Amino acid sequence: MSDQFTAVLGRKVVSRESAEELGNVSHMIVDAEQRRIVAVTVGKRRKARVVDWEGFTGFGPDAVLVTAESSLREPQDAREQAAASGELELLGRRALSDLGNLLGEIGDVSFDPETGALETILVGGHNHPATSLLGVGSFAVILHVDEAAEVK
Amino acid sequence: MKLLLSGTSIRGLPIVTVTTGEDLAEVRDIIYRPEAGRIVGFTLNKRGRFAGRCKEVLLTEHVHAIGRDAVMVTDASQLADRDQASSEVAAPEARRDVTDNDVLTEAGVSLGQIRDVVILAGADGGEVVGYQIELPSGGSGYIPSPAQLAISGDALVVPDVTEEFLSHDLVGLGAAVDEFRARLGIR
Repeated sequence: MSDQFTAVLGRKVVSRESAEELGNVSHMIVDAEQRRIVAVTVGKRRKARVVDWEGFTGFGPDAVLVTAESSLREPQDAREQAAASGELELLGRRALSDLGNLLGEIGDVSFDPETGALETILVGGHNHPATSLLGVGSFAVILHVDEAAEVK
Repeated sequence: MKLLLSGTSIRGLPIVTVTTGEDLAEVRDIIYRPEAGRIVGFTLNKRGRFAGRCKEVLLTEHVHAIGRDAVMVTDASQLADRDQASSEVAAPEARRDVTDNDVLTEAGVSLGQIRDVVILAGADGGEVVGYQIELPSGGSGYIPSPAQLAISGDALVVPDVTEEFLSHDLVGLGAAVDEFRARLGIR
């Protein structure tokens, strides 16, 4: 079973230890090299906290559970701060091919809720395999696309 | 089919890193080496309105790909300091500007005047495959260029057969280039 970014955003985050609701999923932090979700931000802007993927005990359809409230931490580096403020959000971001051609905007991303591994990236009605992901930045997400298929 | 871009459409394109998705700069101008039939690099502007000129330049050999919407580099280390770049990139000679050059066939017929260069895009891009010219009758057309040619800063001398390959758009030029070169026995 795979999950979708569009479905996950806003999903409530609950502590397994206290059963308390800690906030809502605001952004996914993706490592382009590993092609997986490495962390999730909870809450928005200055109140945003980061949960490492390892801090989740269950990524379910109705709620995501973290070990405890202590699993939430402050954004650590510039990249996490950028992610927390939404600058690296994949959804709606411009997708460029590595050949420098605009592919469209990212409509959705599917992933495996067990491992956080990305599966497909939807751009302009076309699903690209996650293996095509090369880079995620504030300007664009870069996908590898076969040159013959791209230049029509 | 190959993607062809005019010099004008490349100016202003962002320079984007493949591995980090950042826009580092944008193309200010194209540095063209007519004798080799290739562009050797780009001078750059900082990103943003009124941001001004960058001290770095980008050599074609450090380009990952030239595309319709961006010039791609692997990462930020691919930009070279202008002072350390070769003189043809750091301070291009005025005669490298081919704009307004008269296009003359070997028989001495003028086909028109150069308005723009047409560049092969893609991962191995940077080759100048043709020119947009203003026709003596008015209007514009495209001619394919052989890989190497005589150019002086005043005129570009092309084989007589070039006239037969005059096309009216970039799509037509794309089709004409290979056939033209085959006729001349190049590649």
